[in-house]
Amino acid sequence: MSERKKLDRRDFMRGAAAVAFTGATWAAVGEKTETKYWQLDPAKCTQCGRCTTHCVLTPSAVKCLNQFDICGYCDLCFGYLQPGSRNLDTGAENQLCPTAAIERKYIEAPYYEYKIHEDKCIGCAKCVKACLVFGNGSFYLQIRQDICINCNECSIAKSCPSDCFSEVPESNPYMFLTGDTHLAHPPA
Amino acid sequence: MKEPVRKTKHPYIVGACVAAIAGFYFYLVADKTKFPEPGENLVYDIKKFEDVDNVATRYKEGKPIVPTVDGPKAMEIDGAGNLFVGGKGAIAVYDASGAETSRIAVDGAATCLEFTPDGRLLVGLEDRVAVLGADHKTMATWSGFAERTLITSIAANAEEVFLADAANRCVLRVDYDGKVLNEIGKADEARDIPGLEVPSPYFDMAFDDEGSLWVVNPGKLGLERYRSNGDIVTSWYRPSLELDGFSGCCNPTHIAFNSAGRLVTCEKGLVRVKIYEVTAGSFEELVVGSKSFKVAQSVSDMVVDASDRVLVLDSRQKAVRIFEPEAPAVAKAVP
Repeated sequence: MSERKKLDRRDFMRGAAAVAFTGATWAAVGEKTETKYWQLDPAKCTQCGRCTTHCVLTPSAVKCLNQFDICGYCDLCFGYLQPGSRNLDTGAENQLCPTAAIERKYIEAPYYEYKIHEDKCIGCAKCVKACLVFGNGSFYLQIRQDICINCNECSIAKSCPSDCFSEVPESNPYMFLTGDTHLAHPPA
Repeated sequence: MKEPVRKTKHPYIVGACVAAIAGFYFYLVADKTKFPEPGENLVYDIKKFEDVDNVATRYKEGKPIVPTVDGPKAMEIDGAGNLFVGGKGAIAVYDASGAETSRIAVDGAATCLEFTPDGRLLVGLEDRVAVLGADHKTMATWSGFAERTLITSIAANAEEVFLADAANRCVLRVDYDGKVLNEIGKADEARDIPGLEVPSPYFDMAFDDEGSLWVVNPGKLGLERYRSNGDIVTSWYRPSLELDGFSGCCNPTHIAFNSAGRLVTCEKGLVRVKIYEVTAGSFEELVVGSKSFKVAQSVSDMVVDASDRVLVLDSRQKAVRIFEPEAPAVAKAVP
């Protein structure tokens, strides 16, 4: 007949140390295995247009965003209008976007708000380049994480000429534009 | 005894599978052309806009001055020809040879500088103005102009001072105690004033050689001349991608007058420095074109010295670039 061993203080300490060690190891490993997502750095982007054609999804998971606190709300918006447009209005012949994904909305004279309809946006970056060269540079591209299928090797990243794609942590999946926000909004 | 040879009953199926696997491999790995390159409808080509300023210029670039202040943003030249460059917390002073001769500490980031006719230095510090005496000591500070103020330019004559407030999209006329006398440039249909449109923090003004105040209306891509009481005298706008106009949503970013009373303008985006006859707004000549600057950049400030040299504070190169006329300008009849 076997005798049941009594749990002494030393055994208890050993057990507690084992539990603590396991917990610490799990926490350390857990941090390293946080899910990573592909994202593009707008500061490096050269608006080459490959985000439209080189994504495995159609339309691309790369979308244009407008950082409203940098936007000038210009009447003559180069991101919205074809260069040399005869009229500053919403006529299709005046619009720069190939899919008419930008909505121009009157705020107050002479300021307009420009909103991107992401379901129409194909990520070509024509508006991004035009706004950067001629305007305040408030348009920029980002991979929409709710659309992206997070390929092991992103096919746009592979072909990006400016090497602006990298993997970012799940906790911080976007690279928002920063800039001069002195003139945040048109006066009320 | 002959050993039996194991043969498949369907060799063509195996062959097809091998070919399919090989084809799939080449499709995924080896075929680099599976994605088409973006065509011209998906790419914004700015070369054609850059090429409009491929014209001869009589200005040659000289040796630049590299200011040692942090975040250089503003420039001004005093009566003795010394260059003052303002940045975060300091103003550096350079003599005609480009050597730094002194340094003035300021409480904040200098956004613009201006000398009064009696030699005081007015320093725009975003939302306030510091008045420095001839000994560079602070005599007074003017503040509390509005809830949100960004002073981007100062113009002063013997009686009063004008402050370009980009955040409130108007020019503040103040006395030498810093008290606001009136606002200039707010839209007023009854007085035929269209209103200043300022979509970005670039908003400049200057006195011409007759003492008239010219204010840039950047959103309308032109200039407006005002009286002290806020009445508009005249205006002209040149929205155009051609060389004789101003491109982009908000230009020119900086203006100054040369010794001949001609208007020198500087644009952002595609940086171009040009000279105009101010009354008619007629283009006269190019000082420097966009090929000399990075695309999509702005300059922090521009001044013209007594020798008609154009000094441009290049924010990318962090240097004061100097463009010197090689030959006198050809006289043109004023229309």
